[in-house]
Formats: sequence, C-alpha cells, structure tokens
Amino acid sequence: MVRESSWRRWPAVIAVSVGILISGCGEDGDDGARGPAGTAALEQSVTTTSGFAIPGDAVFVAPDAVSGDDITEEMLLALFDVPDDSVVVLPKGRFTVSETITVNSANGLTLTGYGINETLLDFSTADGDDAIRFEGGIDVTIRDLGVYEAKKNGIKTVSANGVHMAYTATVWEGELESDNGAYGLYPLQSQNILVENNYAYGSADAGIYVGQSNNIVVRNNIAKNNVAGIEIENSTMADVYNNLVVGNTGGILAFDLPGLEQAYGGNVRIFNNDVYANNAENVGSGAVGIIPPGTGVLVFAASDVEVYNNDITENETTAISIASYFLSDNDVANYPANYGASMNQGWSPLVKNIYLHDNVISRNGGDPRGALITDIVAGYTSAGNASGMPQTMPAILYGGIGELLSNLDQLSGFNALVGADAANDGVDYDAYDAGDQICANSNINGNPAPDYANVNTGLVYGTTMATASFDGDGNPVPSLLIDQMVNNTYLNCVQNRLPPAVVNFKNNLYGCAGDDLAEPACSL
Amino acid sequence: MKSHKNNHKYSVIVMVTFASLLLTACGGSGSGSDDDGGPVSSGSALNAGAGGPTGAVGDCAADAGGVNWDALMTKTCRNLSDYGLFQDPTDPTANPAKGGVAYDLSVALFSDYTTKYRFVFIPEGEKAVYRASEALSFPLGTVITKTFALPENTAFRDGNEQVIETRLLIHREHGWVAIPYYWASAEDATLAITGKSLPDMTTNHNGMDLTFTYSVPKASDCTSCHSIVPLLQGPNDKREPIFLPIGPKARFLNKDHQYANGTVYNQLLYWAEGEILQGLPADMAAVEKAPLFDELTTPDALDDNELMATAKGYLDVNCAHCHRSRLTLPDDYAGPAGGSGLQLEYNRPYVDDPSKFGTCKTAVAGGHPDYSADVVPQDAGDSYLLFRMSTNDNRHRMPELGRAVVHQEGAALIETWINRLPEASCSPTP
Repeated sequence: MVRESSWRRWPAVIAVSVGILISGCGEDGDDGARGPAGTAALEQSVTTTSGFAIPGDAVFVAPDAVSGDDITEEMLLALFDVPDDSVVVLPKGRFTVSETITVNSANGLTLTGYGINETLLDFSTADGDDAIRFEGGIDVTIRDLGVYEAKKNGIKTVSANGVHMAYTATVWEGELESDNGAYGLYPLQSQNILVENNYAYGSADAGIYVGQSNNIVVRNNIAKNNVAGIEIENSTMADVYNNLVVGNTGGILAFDLPGLEQAYGGNVRIFNNDVYANNAENVGSGAVGIIPPGTGVLVFAASDVEVYNNDITENETTAISIASYFLSDNDVANYPANYGASMNQGWSPLVKNIYLHDNVISRNGGDPRGALITDIVAGYTSAGNASGMPQTMPAILYGGIGELLSNLDQLSGFNALVGADAANDGVDYDAYDAGDQICANSNINGNPAPDYANVNTGLVYGTTMATASFDGDGNPVPSLLIDQMVNNTYLNCVQNRLPPAVVNFKNNLYGCAGDDLAEPACSL
Repeated sequence: MKSHKNNHKYSVIVMVTFASLLLTACGGSGSGSDDDGGPVSSGSALNAGAGGPTGAVGDCAADAGGVNWDALMTKTCRNLSDYGLFQDPTDPTANPAKGGVAYDLSVALFSDYTTKYRFVFIPEGEKAVYRASEALSFPLGTVITKTFALPENTAFRDGNEQVIETRLLIHREHGWVAIPYYWASAEDATLAITGKSLPDMTTNHNGMDLTFTYSVPKASDCTSCHSIVPLLQGPNDKREPIFLPIGPKARFLNKDHQYANGTVYNQLLYWAEGEILQGLPADMAAVEKAPLFDELTTPDALDDNELMATAKGYLDVNCAHCHRSRLTLPDDYAGPAGGSGLQLEYNRPYVDDPSKFGTCKTAVAGGHPDYSADVVPQDAGDSYLLFRMSTNDNRHRMPELGRAVVHQEGAALIETWINRLPEASCSPTP
C-alpha cells in the first residue's frame, strides 16, 4: 500500500479522483453512494507521530480545516459506505464533531489522525451519544487521534472481527465526574482485538473496556483517572500486560456479569502491569458502581484468571480483591428466579481457578473504604476480626462465601440449572476441587520496614468447616481471617498456568504467541 | 431468485421471463393468499401495470412514466422526484405512482410527534412472502417510502403540517439500502447523506408548544437501526451485519387501514387479495397482532393482558430493532444492543425470563445512581428504562436516534406497565 517513492505526486491525483467521486455521490453513485470527501493537500509529513506511514492514496478529510472548525459532515461523507482497505486521514488540530460518527461494515479500514496529540476530536457539543461507533466490520484500525468529551462512549465497536486501537486517546478532561460519558475504548461482542499504546482518561465507567469478546490483547496502554481503568468482562482469551493503570477507582477488573449474550468469560491473564494509586472516589453507576475506591485489581464473579508479576502499589483499600457475585447480591434463594437463564448458559456467581503469583505488593490498604465492604473494612481495622486486634486491610482479600457454600453442598441445587454446553465446559456448583481453588503464592512484599508486617491475606469467610464461622442457626457468618501474605496459609496452592491470547489481525498474529514472542513480560 | 453477482443483468432478464412463463401457467388462479407458487400476477393485482426493474443500469434523468425502477435499483439520485414514486412529485404523502400501496402500523416508532406516510412498491408480478414474526420477505426491487411531517398541532393531523423528510428503503440485489431525502423546499426533496439538523421546530401538543431540534438521520444512522449483527462464533467468524426493514411485520400490519378510495380493510388481507402477499395463513387468528396504540390510548383502561401486549408492542417497535437477540432471526444474529441483555421483542414471552425485559437487571453499561434496575416491577420511579425514555440527556436517552422530545404517552404506557407487572425479587416490599 505504501508507495514511498512517489508520494509527493499523489495529491493532485487524489484531488481529481475525489472530485469524481463527489459528483458520483449525487449523480451516478452505485449502491450506497460512495463519496469520500475532502480534497487532498500537500502535507508536511506523511507519517503520524507514532510512525504510521500514511499511504499516498489515503482519503484526506477536510485537509484545510483549522482548529475549531466543525468537520462532522466531511467525516460522515468520508466514512459512509467506505471502500475496502481505505485509509481515512483526519486533519491536524482540535476540531468540533457535532454528531455520532457511525461506520458500518468497514472492511480493512484505517481511520487515523496525525497523532494522539495532533488530531483531537471534541464531542462536547455533539447531539449524539457515542463519539465514534463501528458496527460490524473486519480488520478495522483506529489510530493516532484523540476523542474528547464524548456524551456516552468514546470509541465503540460491536460485532467486528479484527479491531486494532492504537495511539488513540479517549479523554474527559478535568475532574472525574459522574457525567463523564461511559466507556472510553470499547470493543464489544468482537473478535481479535488489539488495544495498544492508548491513553484513556476520565471515564465515569471503564477507560478501556472489552466486553463479550474473545481473543484479546490489551498492552502498553495508560488508563488514568477513570472509575475502572481496564475492564475485561464476559470475555475469553484475554491478555492484559505492560499497562500503566493509575488514579482510577479500581485499576484492572475481570468481571463476569449475568444477563449478557456471552454468558461468561475465562482465560484472562493480567500481568506485568503497574497498578498504582487507584484511589479515586467512585462516581460510577451500574456494574462499576460497586468498586471500592482504592482497589488495585478486582476479580468479580469471573473464573480462570491469572494475575502475576504486577506492581501493585499504594491502592488504599486492597491490592487484589476476589469476590463472588454474592458480594453484590446475597439473596441466594432467588438466584434461580433472577439469574436462572444466565446460569443455564453457564454464568456463575462463583469465582474459581484464580491464581495470583509473583506480584509485588507495596503500601496498599492505607485508607480502606467502599460502600459495599463497609463491614469488612470495619472488622479488619478494629478488633472485630479473627486476630482480635486492628489490622491493616489485607492486601489480598478473598470473599470466600461462594466457595464455602459450595463446600457445604448448599449450592448443588443450582446444578440442575446448568445447561448441557455449560456443564460440559465444567460449570458446576459442587464442592471446590483443587483446580477450582483460589491460589496466591510467591507474591512479593514490597513494603519497607517497619511496615513489612502489614501486607496480609484476608478471607472474609473461611472456606472449610475448620475455618468457617456460623451463627446459632448454623448460617455462615464472616470470619475475617487474616494472615501474612508471604507464606500465607489460606490460599497456599498452585494452579496451572493459562495459555496466551492470540490476536489475528490482517493475518498477522499479535500477543505473547505472536509479535511479542521476545517481549520480556511474555516469558514471566 | 437470488442471482449471481457477475451476471445479474442476465439473470434478472431470465427471472422476468420465468415470471411471465409462470404467469401463463397460473393465469386465472384465484387469491394469492394460499398460493405457494412463484411470482404470479393478474390484471387485478395491486401492482398490475407498475412495471419493475429491467436489470439495466438506470438513469436518474429518465422519465419512466411511473416508478423509475432501474434508477432505484442502481443509482443514488440527487432528487427524490427522479425516482417517479409519486404522481405529484411535490407530495410524498398521497397518490403514489402505479403499484404503490399505502399502509400504516398498529403501533409506530415515536419520532417527535411527526405524522408518517408509508407506501410500499412491489414490482409487477412479484409478491412479498408472509413471515410469522419477522418483517415480511419482500422481493428484489421492493421500495418502501416513509415521509415524516410535523403537524402544527398533534391533535389535528389534517394536513396542516410541514413535510420534513422522506426515507427510502430499497431492496437491491446485494441487500437493502436506505437513502434519506430532505425537503429543503416544497418543490422537491434532495439527498441528505449526512443528515440535517433542524433547530426550532415547533408543534403544539396538548396545548403546550414543544420546540426542539429535529434530526434528519444520516444515511449511516439508517443502518444503525436497520441492521442485525452477527454474534461472532469464534476468531474465524467473519459474517457481516444484515440490513432489514423494521415496521412491516405481520403483527403491526394486522389491522384495518382506510384506503384513499374510502375502503376500510385489514391490510394483510388487502395485500393478499391484491396479490402482493403470499403465504398469509387462512386463519387470521393465527397471525400475530400487536394491539393498537396511539396518543389516545388510555393505559389505565387496559386489563393486565392487554397492557402487557400493548407495552410489548410499543417496546418492540421502539426498542427491539436494537434490543433483540436470536429467536426468529437467522442463527446467531442479534440486534446491535442485544448484547446488553435487554431484549424486548414482541414475540418473546415476558414470563420466560423477565430479566430480558429488564426486570431486576442492573444496567451493564452506564446506569444511574437514582435507579436500582432497568425495570423494578411495581416501582416505575426506580426503573432506569423508564428514565431513559423520559430524559433528553444524551448520556441516557433512549432510543439513541430519532427522538428529541419525550413521548409522553409512550412513557405513561410503560410507567403503567411497570407498576402493574407481577412482583419480583427487586420489587419494593409492601
């Protein structure tokens, strides 16, 4: 595609062909009125700041626009029924976009600006919801631009196979507030997703959110000052590595929620990330509204998750929190009524096979809080825990109630709800076996003396008869167990390592089994 | 009937020939209503003499003396009048060219209190095929027009109105396409690929002036609502979205319509007897029928079953083009918002899984701290779904497109429905 030798001669050709296409739009366009807009101009540079070489036959949208101009119409024309393998280039500057830009069934499209700080699209006055939305499509690239102040989601894809988001920002400027849109970078129900080198700032939901998708690599991004930094939800085969996740309410999340089309996820690996000071107050609603401020990593009702070799530092509630869905809905008797259809499809409130190892855990738990865990925090920070004395909030906190109820055989009635496919995939409500367990070992205490003793593992509920506590009616009550993280007794087990995710984008393979074979993080 | 990409011109000719052969073979056969055969036509068919696509590349400037089928099939013309769909090219609300049939729906998508004028044009000799729960299967060449006009007063839809836009759905060889036309002048409507934003539009509704910005949709918006998307079944699944009509489903057409000549007749029967619809069950009681709903319906007067059916009909036509999944769609297809888990199809029984209708379901994306679930049975005030219908905040507004003012009557219907739903685990304790 790139014709480096002769690019200077291209613009005139483009101008002519674009002119033809424009008239074609009105007079004799074929199905769907193709009509790339704009005219080409001699550009000072044909590479973006990230080094992407813009090919000579690219479509240059509003090349003469100056900052402050509204380029909505030019964008719409360029992206309507866009020809296969087009490169559509947005101009340099900060521009107003006044409506949602929807791109349907794009095949091989690259939508690029001149750089993450060079091409800024301001949606603050838009009369739409999402900023840019791709519906369907194969091997779509979005790169080298910034989307600011989206009314709802920043960049969304739905039902796309092949999504590459790179060197792209989604930003809500200023304070983190509840009306800061929704998700930033948002691939949904898509396949083969590569999200790298992006900057997601200020979302009232998740900065980077991948939902109901499969084969996912999220690497080298910065997620800052969002409610959730990076969230992988109801998705399988996801690798999240080498990201900087700072200043969010919760840093990195693996969630499985009920009621969704893809009932459950799994095989999520979270490794070699910097998860630092995620202490923003929670201004979110819906699913992320439950996140306690000060959470580094949260595994919520998701199974088959490996969290390793992350630096998890100065998160004021916990470094890593693992909870079943019972944390947010403890009405166990009504699960068949409320979630029966999801459970039939394999969604489970339980967390199973979570393996935490080789994380460096430093200076967390300094100001634990969160509406959902008020009692837990109160118990650990007072004498009301198993140790009988106030403790620093556990750096690794595991709820345990789902495992306990399973081990007490109180959930086996749910087995009848599980459909055949899900049962074959191993979904059950039997007592936890070795492969189901939550394991934490070889994590590294990064606290300096004299606070070294303050890095702990906590279990809200003991998971066995020996460790569980019961009230007079025989109902489980929180035990608030606590033990030192290093050489802890409660989660002292090992799980199998999970295989890497592979993204196939334009027939190239990405991730630890693809282009990152030599990446140090991939050999951890 | 589907023809191959590379030689479609020839195969269309073959098809036409084939049709005329059948015409000879079946000449004089009676009502098409129980006819399973191929294209049939007779002099009494509603589309008799309407012509149809010839397979040739069309010409926007051609005077076809009626519908300019070839241009419709192959060209995106600048002016609506180029297609010859209306006898008076300045009036898309009445008097279609030969073959055009007016229709309306028992419950319609709300579009800022506009009046809508709908016509379907089926090529001569062709018929739509009945489908129980999906849009009727319209033959290649079918054109559907929908014109939006804002009345001066919503209580008097008597023609004192501003015609704003006309949208075309055209069933071309490679699928349906949508083309929006905007009435910039009274003379003609012009192509509006990038839509149009019309500030300070006003209508009087129940004695109140509503002033708002009306949005003529962009062509890409048409696809947003009209597409179903594949639920991708693995890394190698590269199926694409499919574009479908939304309104002309049996359940919405199954009602009386007053035709221009004064005839009042059930639309499906009219189409079947007019030989533009085949496969309609002989037993009309077996055909789905969404209850009538308009601004004069009083939800409180409906019994529980009527209320459920009416609310589901409203939710279906207003929400389920996106909020739907599987059921009668092609395998592993859903609406673009089916993945949210909120699925509001008329043909989905509420009792099978109330959470599909939002009952006690936490909003996945978004949400609002003042509302505990999408639908809280018996507490409409705590229901996020009703809030989303009742707000104009872009962050929360539903539907996403085509609504600038709140549909007060629709919101009242859904409020009544929620408050009379059976108690659920999230319902307030009495």
